[in-house]
Amino acid sequence: MRRLEHIGLLALPGLTFLAVIFALPLLLLLLKSFQIDGQVSIAEYRLFFSDSYNLTVLWRTLRVALLTTLLALVIAYPTAIAMSRARGIWLSVFLVAMVLPMSVGVVVKAFAWSIIFRTRGVLNDMLMSLGITDAPIRMLFTESALIIGAANVFLPFMVLPIYAVLRQMDGRLPEAAASLGATPVFRFFHVTLPLSLPGVVAGCAFVFSLAVSMYVIPSLIVGERQQTLSMLTARSFLYLRNEALGATISSILLIIAISVVLGSSWLANRLGARS
Amino acid sequence: MKLTSKGLLNRRSVLKGSACAALGTVATPAILRAQSSEIVIGCAGSHTAWMEQIVAPHMKKAIGADILFEGTKSSVNLEKMASNKDAPYLSVVQMDDPVMIQAVEADLLAPIAADAVPNMTDLRPGAVHMDGMWCNYVQPWAGVAYNTDFRSGGVSSWTDLWAPEAEGQLIIPSLQNTEGMWTLFSAAMLGSGKPFSEAQYEIDAAFEKLEELKPNLLSVYTTMSQAFNLLEQGEITMLAGNFSSYTLPRKATGVPVDLAAPSEGIFAMPSGICLVKGGPNPELAAAYVNEMLGPDMQAAIADFASSVPANTTVTAGAIIPEGVPIYSPDWAFVAANRRAWIERFDKLMAL
Repeated sequence: MRRLEHIGLLALPGLTFLAVIFALPLLLLLLKSFQIDGQVSIAEYRLFFSDSYNLTVLWRTLRVALLTTLLALVIAYPTAIAMSRARGIWLSVFLVAMVLPMSVGVVVKAFAWSIIFRTRGVLNDMLMSLGITDAPIRMLFTESALIIGAANVFLPFMVLPIYAVLRQMDGRLPEAAASLGATPVFRFFHVTLPLSLPGVVAGCAFVFSLAVSMYVIPSLIVGERQQTLSMLTARSFLYLRNEALGATISSILLIIAISVVLGSSWLANRLGARS
Repeated sequence: MKLTSKGLLNRRSVLKGSACAALGTVATPAILRAQSSEIVIGCAGSHTAWMEQIVAPHMKKAIGADILFEGTKSSVNLEKMASNKDAPYLSVVQMDDPVMIQAVEADLLAPIAADAVPNMTDLRPGAVHMDGMWCNYVQPWAGVAYNTDFRSGGVSSWTDLWAPEAEGQLIIPSLQNTEGMWTLFSAAMLGSGKPFSEAQYEIDAAFEKLEELKPNLLSVYTTMSQAFNLLEQGEITMLAGNFSSYTLPRKATGVPVDLAAPSEGIFAMPSGICLVKGGPNPELAAAYVNEMLGPDMQAAIADFASSVPANTTVTAGAIIPEGVPIYSPDWAFVAANRRAWIERFDKLMAL
């Protein structure tokens, strides 16, 4: 027990760093959201929730984050299965393919997407030449483009946790199920998927937290006509110079992110214990 | 051993040496700061090209200053000044007039005086504001940028923005950007039917007219370079409120864009320069401003950025299109109402 306590000290630099750089500023921000002219007040929260525009932005932020998480999960899960079964050079190829795109800045990616998504762009040309569409479809500045772009950026954060869990799974379990006559579909839904759920929950928590608070990606892909909570925060601090409103929106965003992380942590523990 | 016995390395000398070293360490940054030739300038992101190519090398040669510049929006520069009011790190800021008014109200600026900045006496009337709190240094003109491949006839009127054939072909600036005001004021003129001098106060009429613009809007930008990129690619055919210092240098490189001066009028971009109150290196900062207002820099920037120089002794730079009125709005009115307009505009334009 004493040894464990000593090992716990190793986390001290990280905890101190997070406390000073992350927790303290956020605490100050939270306090600021309850302060109006030096008085404690929830007026700014009441004002925020009484404005239908803010509620639209809040709903859009949550919807985009949820759909981004869902799309990333759908793409990531088969990829993680393939990676967990890959060996040697193929595993290296998969890992490099996951990590390398993270070194390309979001701004560069956003400009690249504008080339693909534009009316006279690669994707529209392809769709029309294949006879799938008769005329160019508007893709730039749409929520769909935002979700595709965000899922692209956050994909590694979904793939890697699922891969880590699948990699540790005892490969003999699906084989045992097969020997008892289970079909591949039955094996997936009753063996592989339940065992991989802690990784899925962790991946979803990562991607949702990142997607709900993203700023640069929506600014570049959908612009000012489809604002998210992060864009409202920036606008409040930088353009409206309304610190109380900015702090309030940041706090709402923080509460959403903390709820997701705590909820997913609880779920992952339960699922881990069950499996 | 010999050293110790002679007292050269005893406890006292070690303590003395440590104290000197500590004092030196503490004092060195202040000394270096006092003698530093480095000044930080806040400017617009669209200034980057000429700040790098013209201003920085000139300032090194003329006043021995090493220029570090931070290119961003005027309102972000204002926020930087306000956040660092107790310990400013910017010495000079180049930003737009309406934001200058807010900076004066927040007591963030130091007045520019003719004894430290003699070139300010050569500026045209109206270029020095609020008893020298800031000066206009160059003045680009703003109209409608368009893609020449797709609009060979140009943009003859601001009403072209509202034309049905322009559906989905237009991007306008957000009111967070100063150039966003030009679409608002054009809408005010068209919506109210009044001349600009009166129409600029008809904001309800402006917003009603702007609502009619929505079918033609592909997007509203806060990052101009991205929107301009879409214009160059032909994804849109018109970019409202763009200005000569950005469009015309791009046109000169062979890109299929041009800047139209619609018949109802064009606008004077309010490019100002100011000294930050309590900013580092005040003498060098004043020398920088003096150079920026001097004939050499004025001619070079005006030519490079297709702008009208503020110094009356300079004949270089852009030519304002003839036969078209050029407007400069009541910036005090803009500064007083801008926040409310931004909120109203964002809600109106939201999808």
